[in-house]
Amino acid sequence: MYAYRLETNPYPSSPTPTQMDAKILGGKRHKEAKSAILECIKELHGKVCGRDAATGDFRVITVIQDVGSGKTHLALHIKNLQGRHNIACSFVDLSTISPKTMSSIYNAILKGFENEFFVQLRAKFLEYLQERAEQGDNIAKKAIDYTFVNKLTGLTIKEKVNDIIKGKEQVSVAHLNTFLHQRLNNFESTFIKSVITNSFSSISNLEELIGMMSSISKLTQRFLGKIVLFEMDEFDGNKESIEFVKGIINAHIPASILLLISTPSGYIEVQNANPSVFDRLEKANYKIDLVGSNSKEELAEIAVEYIKHNDKNDRFGSKEQEELSEKIQLLCDQFPEFRNVRSLINILYHTMEKSDELELQEIDESAIDDAIKQTYPGLKVRGSIMGIPISDFIAIARSCDNNTEKELKEAVNNLTSFACQMGDICKLEKKSLPLDLVYQDSSGAKIGLAISNNDSDLDEISNVSRSLVDKLVILTNRKISSPNNATIVNVDKSKMVDLIYFNNKYTRKKIEEADNEKAKNLAKTLCII
Amino acid sequence: MAKDILQRIVSSGIKGIKKADLKKAYKDCDNMLERLEKNGQVFIEKKGTAYFVWSKENYIGYLTQNDPRCKLVLDMVTGPSQSTAKKAHTNLREAQTISNDFTARNNDFQTIFNKCLNESGTSMGWTSFDKVREKICDIHNLSKEKFYTLASDLIDKNRERYEVSSGGQEGIIVRGLVHGYVRNV
Repeated sequence: MYAYRLETNPYPSSPTPTQMDAKILGGKRHKEAKSAILECIKELHGKVCGRDAATGDFRVITVIQDVGSGKTHLALHIKNLQGRHNIACSFVDLSTISPKTMSSIYNAILKGFENEFFVQLRAKFLEYLQERAEQGDNIAKKAIDYTFVNKLTGLTIKEKVNDIIKGKEQVSVAHLNTFLHQRLNNFESTFIKSVITNSFSSISNLEELIGMMSSISKLTQRFLGKIVLFEMDEFDGNKESIEFVKGIINAHIPASILLLISTPSGYIEVQNANPSVFDRLEKANYKIDLVGSNSKEELAEIAVEYIKHNDKNDRFGSKEQEELSEKIQLLCDQFPEFRNVRSLINILYHTMEKSDELELQEIDESAIDDAIKQTYPGLKVRGSIMGIPISDFIAIARSCDNNTEKELKEAVNNLTSFACQMGDICKLEKKSLPLDLVYQDSSGAKIGLAISNNDSDLDEISNVSRSLVDKLVILTNRKISSPNNATIVNVDKSKMVDLIYFNNKYTRKKIEEADNEKAKNLAKTLCII
Repeated sequence: MAKDILQRIVSSGIKGIKKADLKKAYKDCDNMLERLEKNGQVFIEKKGTAYFVWSKENYIGYLTQNDPRCKLVLDMVTGPSQSTAKKAHTNLREAQTISNDFTARNNDFQTIFNKCLNESGTSMGWTSFDKVREKICDIHNLSKEKFYTLASDLIDKNRERYEVSSGGQEGIIVRGLVHGYVRNV
């Protein structure tokens, strides 16, 4: 059993998203992007509903963001929704096509549709043939190979068509050709014949490709009442890709939407390679900018969404969500490595596996630590002088904001005691000085140390101490103006975590030999020694 | 009297003051000097035929200037910038000034960097680092290394305000990848 009593690991483990993984979509920005795409679909659908689509019924959407930010996931998620939103969607990963000939792109577009799309289109067209045949159209009858013998044996046209749909009977290709050429253009005839016979011939140039794509969208609109969404992932400065995209944008393929997915580098490549295509993209109907998709808040929301979606036992309440979100945000703060959806999901997948192994009720710091050690061996908390383990870092950093000045003072006091034990300094009596500590450093200078977060205290500390100590050190975690005679040391979050970590070890008498040098360095960083 | 004697010793600097000269000025100062020496406030040493007296800071200064072994040991223990308390104090002041200058420079850099991003980005704000670098380095006489140090630092400290994207020929390194594109968000 996984954390939060989940029966399966909610996180995918594939390096790139699969259509199955993309069933869940989390994060405010990603959801906004999804809404924009669905809005575009709705708008175009409303426009072409009840009439034949024209060349103006074409839309371009661009989605541009860095690698690993969830663009492909978004595109696949939309593809998963095609049944609900009256679209037929073909997802093409241009990076998987090589060489990028018009023929290979066409094949990829066909493969990019669900098989169900062709099944439905075939069935709908055969029903149309049936209607025509029932109305007395002899060519239609011949196309479905409805013979006199069939009639004599009592087989109805409907039954004959049903047999063809089920694959028990076949159409007459020659008569079907005649029927199609009387009613459809050459490309449409070729495409529908391919669908009926389940045999797709190849194409050789851009004109044919555009013709076939137009046929797909026109026939889809006519027979299925749907518009076609062509999703082109990994669009970049590749010459063939640009030529193809320029062609389909210029052709205004009716009743269709072209969704182009690119990275900023790919987009700038297009700008440099072909300014006219770049200009067309700049004028896209919808320009989806996944800005902030790698922000820690967005990443935390996405991570939470996966568990929420799989939480059948209601074990993942708002408290648990908040806690997990905090841990993830800390992780993202500390490790730029995990600041993208793909890397974070990978870590969480392994963390969930750990939770199963360790039979944890929830994802805790140790599970995250173990997962990171396993998947990113050697990764350390950046800027930590004490070499703090990731689990301790997360636990301390989470409570850091609540730490009082008293705790900071205790930690600094213990660090000076430690430095004293190590012979680096010699603690002196502070007497009535408004300081927290007074000691003599190794060069014999008398040092006064004050911990203060308040500007108003500083003047008093500074004035009183001026003539009584050789050096005044003020530790603070706020931005304060520096008095003339003091050294201000800013105790940022990272130093604070180090201090608390040291203090915990020190008070529990757990300082080991290996910690001595680290603690000395920490004291140096804080200008204590 | 102790205060006056100490003042006189301190004011003599790292050269120290001859004990005989002190005796001339302050009769019967032997006991006082002995007490100060015991407290570690002054140091007495024979130089040639005469005894010299130093205050503790000046004595360390004297030793570090004249005895390389002492300088070496002090450097090892306290770091080269803290050979003497006074020097340490001065160094810290200097460090503080440098740090303040650096912060000021960083603020300047941020303004210039932002301006440059706003001027040269695409409609979505993305621009390549090399373009920004060329512009800033040319105008402000910065080296390429310095530019990327400042840019990395700025972006690292303001992660919610900048987005970087992988690719390009040069840029900052994130997750071992060159991120050659940047924008202000």
